[in-house]
Parts: sequence; structure tokens; C-alpha cells
Amino acid sequence: MNAVDGSDHYTKTSDEPPPSLLTIILDTNPHAWALLSPTLPLSAAIANLLVFVNAHLAFNNANRVAIIASHTQRAEFLYPLPAQETSSHTNGSAPQNGFDNDVEMADDGEPTVPPLSDDANHYRPFRLIQTTLLTALTTLLKTTPPSSLTPTTSIAGALTLALTYINKTTLSLSTTTSSTAPNADTTLAAETAPPALNPRILILSVSGDLAHQYIPIMNTIFACQRLSIPIDIAKIAGDTVFLQQASDATRGTYIKLDHPRGLLQYLMMGFLPDQTNRKYLVPPTAVGVDFRAACFCHRKVVDVGFVCSICLSIFCSPPEGAICLTCGTHLQLGEYGGKPVVVARKKKKRKNVEDGKGKDAT
Amino acid sequence: MSTSSLRSFEYLEGLPGTTFNRLYKQPSTALAIFRRMLPHLAKSFVMALLYISRPMPVTDLEAWVRPDGRLERDNAIDLLERLHILTATTKPGKPRAYTLTNPFAASLRLALTGGGTHKSFGVPSNISDDDHITIPELDEFARRQWEGVLGYMVGSTGIDLANNGVELSPGVQHLLKQGGLVETRGRRVEITQDGFAFILQEVNAQVWTMLILYLQNAEALNMDEVDVLSFLFTLGSLELGLPYSKANLTPTQSQMLLDLGDFGIIHQTTPTSSHFHPTRLATTLTSDSNGLRSSSLASSSDTTKGGFIVIETNYRIYAYTSSTLQIAILQLFTRLITRYPNMVAGKITRESIRRAVSMGITSDQIISYLTTHAHPQMLKKQPILPATVVDQIRLWQLEGDRMKATPGYLFKDFNTQGDFEGLCRYAEEIGVLVWKSEGQRKFFVTRHEQVAAYLRNQARRG
Amino acid sequence: MPRASKGVLVECDPSIKAIILKIDQDNHDYIVEDLDDQTLVIKETQLARLKVRLSEELANTQQMPEESGSD
Repeated sequence: MNAVDGSDHYTKTSDEPPPSLLTIILDTNPHAWALLSPTLPLSAAIANLLVFVNAHLAFNNANRVAIIASHTQRAEFLYPLPAQETSSHTNGSAPQNGFDNDVEMADDGEPTVPPLSDDANHYRPFRLIQTTLLTALTTLLKTTPPSSLTPTTSIAGALTLALTYINKTTLSLSTTTSSTAPNADTTLAAETAPPALNPRILILSVSGDLAHQYIPIMNTIFACQRLSIPIDIAKIAGDTVFLQQASDATRGTYIKLDHPRGLLQYLMMGFLPDQTNRKYLVPPTAVGVDFRAACFCHRKVVDVGFVCSICLSIFCSPPEGAICLTCGTHLQLGEYGGKPVVVARKKKKRKNVEDGKGKDAT
Repeated sequence: MSTSSLRSFEYLEGLPGTTFNRLYKQPSTALAIFRRMLPHLAKSFVMALLYISRPMPVTDLEAWVRPDGRLERDNAIDLLERLHILTATTKPGKPRAYTLTNPFAASLRLALTGGGTHKSFGVPSNISDDDHITIPELDEFARRQWEGVLGYMVGSTGIDLANNGVELSPGVQHLLKQGGLVETRGRRVEITQDGFAFILQEVNAQVWTMLILYLQNAEALNMDEVDVLSFLFTLGSLELGLPYSKANLTPTQSQMLLDLGDFGIIHQTTPTSSHFHPTRLATTLTSDSNGLRSSSLASSSDTTKGGFIVIETNYRIYAYTSSTLQIAILQLFTRLITRYPNMVAGKITRESIRRAVSMGITSDQIISYLTTHAHPQMLKKQPILPATVVDQIRLWQLEGDRMKATPGYLFKDFNTQGDFEGLCRYAEEIGVLVWKSEGQRKFFVTRHEQVAAYLRNQARRG
Repeated sequence: MPRASKGVLVECDPSIKAIILKIDQDNHDYIVEDLDDQTLVIKETQLARLKVRLSEELANTQQMPEESGSD
């Protein structure tokens, strides 16, 4: 009877948005968390974070998550854990092969943690992450020697880990999906086809001073920019120049939490929407990005500095003998040091001193 | 959103509000509805509202969405309201504001944080190792049962199907008949148009279609539909390869286990055993359909790994398969000429395509079937199918399309041109407008709820 | 005040529309609203019957080209 009716031949097929990979970098510096504990203790923050992670996973079955601790002197995976002696026949979720020399990561429910207590009131994938994360975090904090308690955190290391993980996951996904067309020119396909995975990085930052890691941080930022991976920053305490730049350069979201107690709501509203949804939403804007750089010689944040004309390294004062510390070029300082005709020298000096002071205080 | 979720939508929307209330009491249901049924943007709205203590003013939500996302926003909110997840409340002295309805919000929170005593995520059972069933065994079981159902349906196309030893239970046969997927003529079973369309769907969509049929039939069997639905959503949250205990199930749900076993959705060694295993068909229920396509189930239904079909530009088709099911499906839209032990050869003709189209199969379904089952040799080419064949299949369908029918509502009798243009523009923005005529001041839309609401708001304002 | 009425929008070629008009002539129980020469609104309940009548009509008036059948 439908011989004459073409109506059903035009049913619309709308595509599912691609799944997203959320890499969370958690600043676990005990020093900073201790300072924060009156308003937002670490345990409360972790509880909020877990709800947020679950919400992210609830969005799409194929969504993935990785959590990396940026500790005082090292960065470490909290979830998924590097597999130690995973028994091979555990699960049907296909392990990513083809990376034989790689560290296998226990992914998506392969139980590296001891068997979970049977709890029918908790969705199993959620429970798995919770147990893994808490165990790993406890171990990490227990094994931190008091000697390593510095007020800094290795964000650069954590960012690098995040990038490697994103790269690996993207690769493993694209090999499984593109295996159907082995000889098709993959570069073309990769450019035209929608991405198989939307990666993004979220940094929960609590400690302030990162100037000594300026170069590695900027390098990771540029890598993210190239790979179009947004870096979102939830600034719970302290303030750093470079994280603002990170989110600005990668078109991520930067939110300074005025009320750290409301962390969950910030996370749910500001950071949960993935790239697909951000197209439709007005981002919580950060006004006034601080674009200052740190010098390569003393890792100080400078307003005005000296730049090597060959390799663009930044120095707070002319290097000794006018030889660039990075590339070794002999630089012509020209008239530097000579009496300026108009500007008073005093003013500049005062500013430098102020900067130094400000840093000591943090 | 795939076709399957659209189908389940229509069914869910028809349920009364009290049913929703009862459904949403289960955290697993709330989670499954959230994940499977909601559009992407709606999920963001729900999550943003989930942990907020006060209702969110309508204007705030509107300000959060970019102006060019208005269409998506309205669609999302409309659907959330229809599924009874979101309500807009007006309190005296306060602006109109959105809140999540309660059983849903509370359940979703519980699903995210864990806790409670609902046991809706399934109770794993501890059983001895010799009872353990491996995942390949489960996949094989699911495939055999499901192909049995499909085989039963296409059994009437003239090819003698060896039924792989699967005897369909009377319940399943009855269900297929009820759903209009097959008809019985005397003693013979004949497949209907809907049945053909069903067979060419993806497995996940097929399972959902079948389960919706099951639901619609549930009341006739004295089963509580809320009970049935929430058990289905529970099944979707179980883990493949783990045994689950039957201790906490309601009588309805225990009965369901028997029926679902017939489809291969769950596996139990004997009907009386104390536990059951969900198969891949069950655990992917609430995930997106892509999850299943990459699974071994989809590929193992072909006799060769990967595809088996070769098409040449002269419309000849060679299928390297001995599966009677696959041959029967192919026969729906090709003229098969020769059959060898491991291969059949045939031709796609205008007649064969016209026949398929008149049975309700669309050219897109045929093309996507051919593409997904294309032989590895074909996959090396770009495009995979010869362009002439694809175009011709589409053209053959088009030549029979004499009319296009769209059910909906006609709006007319506007007082002024301004009234007409305003409403018409709104209908166009929310994407329901099908046809309009400026001169006659008439337009036709597919859904009238939002348009009517807009009209009422206009009347109140002006 | 504008009014809304339920129905099925049918879009087709003018020639097909002419046939539908002809079918409707007998009892006037199909068409709700004649919009223009390619569109009309018909009663939802009558859609199935209209399709049957239309394909009968087409089968009588049109000859499909024969299949060449060479293999």
C-alpha cells in the first residue's frame, strides 16, 4: 500500500556527538590543601570531583576519563592505573592492542583493584572509579615523605602525562574505527571525518607559584593548542599567570572559584559541557588575561624583559657577557647601560624590587 | 539519536505522568533515560540544575545559551518537559524558574553518588566456577537466539532455513504477530513490510523495537509496565560476563527472564537456576548503538569476519556466505541467480529494488546494508560501493515516489499579516514548519504544542 | 484568532494531485484543504485508503517499462 508514498524514505538521521575524553589534573599538593581545609577540605573536593566524573560518564556510554595527580615533585596517574598483573580473561572490553612496548593501562573496568564489594545500589563503572581513585590517592599521600613538602606542584609533568594519554587513546580509537579502510589515505580521512574522540583537560589548581616551570608549561600549552585540546582551569586557590594563558590560548574555560565550597556547581555548570555543547553555550568568561612571561634565567615573572633576537628566550636582566643562556649567541647590547636621554632609571628599578617582594609573599 | 531511541521516545511520551513518577523512582531508570533518551544539550541542562538549591530563573537559562543555539535550547527544554523531567514554576513575586522534578532528580543524584537501598543496578551473585559462562559463550548464545528470531521471520521468503536448532517459543511467535512484523496465512508465516524494515535495522535498534513490542504486550499478560520498563533499564546497567542473582526480582521480572532468554538477551542455564547472565544484547541496551557495531556480535553474524559482499558496476553482486539468514536478507532486494556452497551470485535489478521499496525497505537501508557488509576488497576502494549502483538504487526508489505525506497541523485564519509572520517564523526556528503560504496566510507544522504555547504567550503579552 | 486543524500534508506532482482531486470528487471525504497545485491537506484517517486508490488508479493509467532481463 505504500507503493506511492515516499514519506518514509526521508527519515532524518542525526548523528550522535562523538564521545569525549576528560583528563582531570588534580593538584594534590598537601601544603595548599592544608591551607584550604577550613573552606574546602580535600575529602570534600574529591567527593565533588567523583560526582562530576560520574556525571561526565553518564553523558555517553563511550565517554572516558583519566585522573592525574600533580603532586609536589611528581605527577602520577590516579585513574586508570598502570596495569600491574592484570589477569587476561577478565573482561570483554577490548584491550588496546598494537602498543606492545607500551605500558598497558587498565581501562574501562578491568579490575586492577581487588574485587569490589557487591553493591547493587551503585552503578558498577562509577563504583570502580571511586574505589580506584581513593585507593591510589591514599597510597600517594601516604608515600609522600615530609621532606618533599614544597609549596609547588608539578603541573608541567601532569600536563605531559595527560597529553600522552590523550594521544594514546585517540590513536587506539582511530585504529579501531579506521581499520575498515586500511589503504584509504588516512590523513585526508582524519581531516574530513569528525573526530572519534573529543579530548579536553581540566586542571583543578590550588597552589600558586609555577614560574619555575614556565618553559615546560608553555610547551604543553602550545602542544594542546596545536591538537585543539581545550585546557579548562578551575582555580580553587592561589593564582598563576600561566594557567590563565593556558586556557586562553587553547580556548578553554578559566574560572576562579570565589566560593570554593560550591565546587560541585562550578564543575557541573562550567566544566561539564563538552566541545559539542559549548558551541551552544555562553562560556563563563574570564576577564583580563595576564599575559606576562617568566624569564628563563631566574624564573621570575617579568613585566619588561630582554629577548634574545635569535631564539626568543626571555631574560630579566642582560645575561652575563651578553651571551644568550639558551642558544649561546653573542648578543649586541647596543647602547644598553648608557645614560638614557629621557627616561629616569629609578622607576624601573623600583618595579623590579616590587615584583620580587610579591613573589616571596606567596 | 538513532531510530531506536526515537521509537522508544514516542512510546515513553505517551505514558501518563504517574507512570513517570513511578519509573523515576529507580536510579538505574533515571540514569538510563538520561543517557539514552535525552539530546546532548538537554543533558547539560539537567546536570547544571541537578545540584542547584534554588530554581533557575528562565531568563538565566536563556542567557546561558548562545542566541544561535535557540533552536536546540527550545527542543531540549520541550523534550525535558514532555518527559516530566523539567518543570517551570511561577511563584508570586518571583520570576518563572525551572526545576527538575523530584523523583527524577533524587534518583539521578543517587545514581551518581551511589547509596540507598534500591538495588536497581543488579545484585551480582557468587557462584562456583564450573557454572561460569565465558563471554564468547554468551555472545554465541545471543547470536544464535537472535538469528533464530530473524530466521523465523525471513523463513517465508522461499529459502529453506535451517533453523540452527533454535525452536522459537510460542510467546515470541505471538509477539512477532502482535507487532505486525509477520502475518500468518493459513499455516505459513509471512513477513510484513514492517518486518522487512526491522530486519535491515541495526541489532540495537532491532532489540529496542522488540522490547517496545514486548512492553505494549505486557499489559495483556497481566504484567506491570513500570516493572517491565525498569527491569529493562536495570539490564542495561549490568556488566557483561558477570552472573546476577535472581533473589530480588519481582514475579513479573522473573517471568520476563524466561521471555528475554528466548531472544538471547539474557542467559540462564536452567529456568530454575538462582542466577542469570546478561548478554551483550542486554548490556548495550542503554549505550549508543555504536558500541554494539564494534562488538563481536555484529561481525560474527556474518560467516566471514568483516564483510562478504562484492558489487560490480554492472550491478552484479557476489556474496561469500553460506548463512541462510544472510541469503534470505539479500534476496529481499536482489535477484539471486546462482548458489554455490560458499557463495551466491545475483544481480540488482530495477524490478528487485522496486519490489523491495514497495515492501517498505528504503534505498538508504539497502545502501547502508551493502556498505556495512562490503567485502574487504571493496573497502579498499573509495567510495566503497560503485557510485553508479548507489545512484541507480536511489533513482529506482525515487521514480515510484508519487507523493510525500506528513501528518501534522494546519494553521490558518490569521487576522493580520504580522500575526502570521511572527508565528510562522517561530515555527520555522524550532524546526517544525513543513509548508507555508504568505498569500493564503496558512502554514503546516509537524507538532503544534510549542507553537500553541507561543501563541498563548503572545496573547497574554499583547 | 488563528485556528489549527489536524491532518496530513500531501506533497505531490500536479498530475498526481489531479488524480487525488478526481478520487475526492465522488464523496468529498478525503480533502480537508486544497492549498496549491502541489500540496493539499487530507484527513488523517483516510491516508491509507487514498494510497490504495491512488496506486490502483496509477496501475490503470500507467505502463511501467518492461525489464530487459538480459543476464
